[in-house]
Amino acid sequence: MAPKKSKKQSDNVNARLGMVMKSGKYCLGYKQTLKSLRTGKAKLVIISNNTPAIRKSEVEYYALLSKTGVHEYNGSNIELGTACGKYFRVGVLAVIDQGDSDIISAMSTEQQ
Amino acid sequence: LESYGDIAMGKFMKSGKVVLVLGGRFSGRKAVIVKNYDEGTTDKPYGHALVAGIDRYPRKVTRSMGKKKLKQRSKVKSFVKVYNFNHLMPTRSVFKGKLNLLMLYFLFIVGS
Repeated sequence: MAPKKSKKQSDNVNARLGMVMKSGKYCLGYKQTLKSLRTGKAKLVIISNNTPAIRKSEVEYYALLSKTGVHEYNGSNIELGTACGKYFRVGVLAVIDQGDSDIISAMSTEQQ
Repeated sequence: LESYGDIAMGKFMKSGKVVLVLGGRFSGRKAVIVKNYDEGTTDKPYGHALVAGIDRYPRKVTRSMGKKKLKQRSKVKSFVKVYNFNHLMPTRSVFKGKLNLLMLYFLFIVGS
């Protein structure tokens, strides 16, 4: 099992996500993330912790097929929406171009 | 192609991919992508694919059945259809045989 994430680590994710929102390209939402995964444009997929298990495994399966990393966000879709600076809930999102952020490399080293 | 670690992002909806049909008359059937149109066409401005699949699966066969019965129960009815990517569920399996449209034409259209 993954070790329990400390508050400091989750802040890092939020900060990096904020940077992606400002300077990078992203897709918010289930339909668009699947589209980006199919075309191979998604570089990282972030899933909130309260997405239904079937949707979570479907997105993870697509990511497996396209060899894209998946990050399980330590928060609900409400919190993920707030982290993206949006006033709506975000259950699944895909980072297409990370801009000035280093979120993709940071997530991959964390998983290793 | 931007990549992190040793992994490159990939398109996986390619010819030869085994998919499950998610809706319509053939929902639940297995099919193989023969030709994919990732960017769509002017007629269909969305990602879609021509798939060839199994309409009627062969029936179960036991040792006690005679040759004639075996032959009847081993029949497979196929279909050819164009599907939106949204209505296909990709799998990890890939069909490695030859898949070309000319072959499909002769087998399916002329033969029926």
